[in-house]
Amino acid sequence: MSFALSLLTGVVLGSLAMFVAAWSIWWERKFAARLQSRPGPTEVGPIGLLQPLADGLKLMQKEIIIPRAADKLLFVISPAVAAAGTLALFAVIPWSETVGVAGDLNIGLLWIFAVGALLVLPQWVAGWASNNKYALLGAMRSAAQSVSYEVPLLLSGMVPILLAGSFQMDEIVAAQQGGRWFAFWPPGPGALAFGLFYLCSLAEANRIPFDIPEAESELIGGVTTEHTGMIGVVLQLAEYLHTLVTAAVCATLFFGGWEGPGAWFGMEGFLAEGLHWMVLKTLVLFALVFWIRWSWMRYRSDQLLKICWHYLIPASLALLAVTAIWVRLVEGA
Amino acid sequence: MSRTLPLWDALVATLRNVGRPMVTEPLPWHAARERKDRYRATFALVHNELGEEACIGCKMCEKICPSQVIDVVAGGRKESPVTGKKRGYCDDFTLDLNACLVCELCVQVCPEDAILMLRERTPVGFSREDLVLSMDRLYANEKPEALAWHSGSVFAEIQDPERGLTPPEEDA
Repeated sequence: MSFALSLLTGVVLGSLAMFVAAWSIWWERKFAARLQSRPGPTEVGPIGLLQPLADGLKLMQKEIIIPRAADKLLFVISPAVAAAGTLALFAVIPWSETVGVAGDLNIGLLWIFAVGALLVLPQWVAGWASNNKYALLGAMRSAAQSVSYEVPLLLSGMVPILLAGSFQMDEIVAAQQGGRWFAFWPPGPGALAFGLFYLCSLAEANRIPFDIPEAESELIGGVTTEHTGMIGVVLQLAEYLHTLVTAAVCATLFFGGWEGPGAWFGMEGFLAEGLHWMVLKTLVLFALVFWIRWSWMRYRSDQLLKICWHYLIPASLALLAVTAIWVRLVEGA
Repeated sequence: MSRTLPLWDALVATLRNVGRPMVTEPLPWHAARERKDRYRATFALVHNELGEEACIGCKMCEKICPSQVIDVVAGGRKESPVTGKKRGYCDDFTLDLNACLVCELCVQVCPEDAILMLRERTPVGFSREDLVLSMDRLYANEKPEALAWHSGSVFAEIQDPERGLTPPEEDA
């Protein structure tokens, strides 16, 4: 793929990702409302579809208030860094055999782990630069949480790597061809690894039940406390983008990427593979985040770390061992 | 295991709501809001059936007004050009809606049914001056179709039925 084509795909995919992230706020409000027997947004546009536009218009008119004691440069650029870093994660996602920016990067998943781990930096910087105790507390919690959940995330992410024998995203998808999606095959480790990976990704993206860094009820929004107007929106957008890319990574690693369920039965054509399957899987996994968010409560900070170190890390280590044995004995690698 | 079950229960409990009818009704913003029969907001000065200004400048409304927003300048007794009889006139009449309580006591005490209220929406303005009703604006408000249900004589009828509705010409 030539550089120009990659660039164009990147621009289009990045814009689409931001578009989806903006509209996911509508979707979250609508879905959450239905989960709670409410109608949700109904006023702007048909079934409230233009609500994000109205929100954006309103937020663009808001004054960007920078606290006098804040570190002004860091305060302003940290949301942009967060959003840019999150968008960089989209680069290695293979959306189909042909669509994608750098799906053939040989360190694909490593790139996701590395850049994803870096994303704690803009969060921390945003909280520190605000010069606000709530923002600082939120940032500290965010750092502690991201760093500890990085470990089980990596370990459970190693399961599909072991099974596929490659870090390259499109090779991981290729290894799942023929309906051998890692979430279902081998039975057991794959599904458990998906569960672990998904939970840890929620923690990485600061979503409920692991959103103690934001915790509106006790930290007034944590890192985002002082960020107003558009820079606040960008910080929020980065979080939604992170959730979206998490869903896309899960779809790639565990649900066969662009392969559709038609391939299980030996069919061909649009039922068996295509961009739409990847998009569909991503959106379904994305919606799952909202379902969890509006059903569960957030864990306390200490419970959060206890879950990680006492349960998730041993579980992911055990999973890794079981998968290694499976690969050695059954697949004879 | 038992500790993870509540999480699953929570997921099922919320998802079950999706198929259920909604509890919340959408706000009826788009429907025209019905105005009650006895709704009244702003004031009007009216003419009597002979075409004369009905206000005789008796200042009863000015005296009863609890927030003292009415200012009447009496014009003295003069011969009416229509009937030829002597009657009172009002030179200037100001009603400041900024402090008006809308208690309609002025309407109740008016012996001539000269001040009435309108079934229109509450007036709005960009400055305090916009809400001060001068005599010209009060007469401009005289819209027969928009007058509220009551007048001074209707109130008199309600409170003292034996007295009956006083025909305006007897008072004049």
